[in-house]
Amino acid sequence: MSLKSERRGIHVDQSELLCKKGCGYYGNPAWQGFCSKCWREEYHKARQKQIQEDWELAERLQREEEEAYASSHSTQGAQSLTFSKFEEKKTNEKTRKVITVKKFFSASSRTGTKKVLTGKLREIQDVRTPSPSINRQVSIETDRASKEFIEFLKTYQKPGQDIYKQCKIFLEAMHQKRELSIEEQSECAQDFYQNVAEKLQIRWKVSPEKVEKAMDHIEKYVMTRLYKYVFCPETTEDEKKDLVVQKRIRALHWVTPQMLCVPVNEEIPEVSEMVVKAITGIIEMDSKRVPRDKLACITQCSKHIFNAIKITKNEPASADDFLPTFIYIVLKGNPPRLQSNIQYITRFCNPSRLMTGEDGYYFTNLCCAVAFIEKLDAQSLNLSQEDFDRYMSGQTSPRKQEPENWSPDMCLGVKQMYKNLDLLSQLNERQERIVSEAKKLEKDLIDWTDGIAKEVQDIVEKYPLEIKPKNQPLAAIDSENVENDKLPPPLQPQVYAG
Amino acid sequence: SISSVSLQTIGAAFVAKVMSVRSRTVTLGIWDTAGSERYEAMSRIYYRGARAAIVCYDLTDSSSFQRAKFWVNELQNFEESCRIYLCGTKSDLLGEDKKKRGVDFHDVQDYADEIKAELFETSSKTGQSVDELFQKVAEDYVHLTAFQVMTEDEGVNLGRETSPYFYSCCHH
Repeated sequence: MSLKSERRGIHVDQSELLCKKGCGYYGNPAWQGFCSKCWREEYHKARQKQIQEDWELAERLQREEEEAYASSHSTQGAQSLTFSKFEEKKTNEKTRKVITVKKFFSASSRTGTKKVLTGKLREIQDVRTPSPSINRQVSIETDRASKEFIEFLKTYQKPGQDIYKQCKIFLEAMHQKRELSIEEQSECAQDFYQNVAEKLQIRWKVSPEKVEKAMDHIEKYVMTRLYKYVFCPETTEDEKKDLVVQKRIRALHWVTPQMLCVPVNEEIPEVSEMVVKAITGIIEMDSKRVPRDKLACITQCSKHIFNAIKITKNEPASADDFLPTFIYIVLKGNPPRLQSNIQYITRFCNPSRLMTGEDGYYFTNLCCAVAFIEKLDAQSLNLSQEDFDRYMSGQTSPRKQEPENWSPDMCLGVKQMYKNLDLLSQLNERQERIVSEAKKLEKDLIDWTDGIAKEVQDIVEKYPLEIKPKNQPLAAIDSENVENDKLPPPLQPQVYAG
Repeated sequence: SISSVSLQTIGAAFVAKVMSVRSRTVTLGIWDTAGSERYEAMSRIYYRGARAAIVCYDLTDSSSFQRAKFWVNELQNFEESCRIYLCGTKSDLLGEDKKKRGVDFHDVQDYADEIKAELFETSSKTGQSVDELFQKVAEDYVHLTAFQVMTEDEGVNLGRETSPYFYSCCHH
């Protein structure tokens, strides 16, 4: 939309091509309209300022974090955090739109040697968007990831340098591919993981354990950078699917543990604590940027579920216990952007981790849980179709209690609500009865009129009304006598003399 | 190595079992899958890409063997390259009482030959044949990949196999 209007407005004024500082040289969109010399100066200034601000923000965040940690952190906190993340995502998307437009302009003037610089420019541009605090936070995370990565690579010496070079090349390639479909970008990332791992093993003869460790760091470094471009990209249906799943889970709020045969008794305080922790874990997944960190959240959530089952049943859990409980946790937690997260992990996680290992197993279970929730019907909950439909439409709830079962300490408001609901349903019933009776009356009336009309019609047909023509001569009475001539002549008056 | 008894105490639906086969180290990622009919539609997500599947049935219950046949069909249809291992469980219950056996050994053996599967009769209580079963899975994996991958490099091979029922059987 914005792209179109911008496009229409393209017109190049000679003065616009010159450096914004007015030094007389030509400017370049890639340097925000400055010439190379002025741009370097400006960039340096902005960079210094940003570093200063980042530092201040980092300190503030650290303080806040410490304070937050001091006051006990409840699940409520975690939920609101993830929600703010959801909003952040929205703003991020807006930002991206702006960038795409800018990129559209800069693309033609970009040359090979300036690629790295444009990359840096992009970061600056991101900082200058309307929601600076969020973006700065992101760049802090990116910076921290870079520093950690470089520190880590030092322990690998020469292969470390090679890794760093390869990562840079890969990030550059991904930058070029930003307009391609997400599947192609995913393939590019998977190839990259595979190539780096192979190179480390074969060329640098790094031990398998160390390769695995390095791969984790590489994933963290590149995905922290790529996250905002490849997570739930606009070119896919991911966001739409997220909303569908979210709505679906909301519509299934009435599902009880009993229906799913969940072997977890939440009345045991320890168990309910585990359930809360599991839900927090799965919700937290959305706030992580690295696929591996997201997987770690799923695994953590699963561990809590296993504990909950173990405490309830007093024996270790199998998949037959685990999967229903996991489904229940997902239904209860309604984790944000579930589909996007699953897609992101599938596309950009190191494949060896996903196909094998514990994380992969729990991730597969999550995929199963989501598939189950999507397909869930009356049969899968051991319910009759009527009950299922009634619960889905919200007409009634399996949790609804009859007044005689109310505990004395039940909330007054809830009591009143149930009473009102009862009244409403009675009213509804009466309304329906009246409507149906009115319809019956209407039908009776129509039938009655139809009946009368038919009777009249029948009688009319049976005794047709014949009106004879008026001016027929009376003599005609005789004309019907066919054998007139065979009759004796009519008597004639005779005159008798007398 | 992990014996059946310790598996029970671990109580996990996932176990990474490290084994050595002909001087090579193989890590089996053992996945338990939910066997309930409710989740039948989702089971394909579990065994996608699996190299081996251990399909378990209860030796004392003939209906469980019919269910096992269903899983075998599923695997054959959707995961062709997955090797199948039939695993009768609770062999300890058979003991001397021959009447308790609900599934005839020779019938299953014929079926196993027909579907080119290996057959083991195991007990998680006594640990009978459990280690042999996993050893066989690992050996077959190494043997097969040695044929497939000509440029064999050293390092960890990550085989993966699913075992519908296996752990659930351990609990009963």
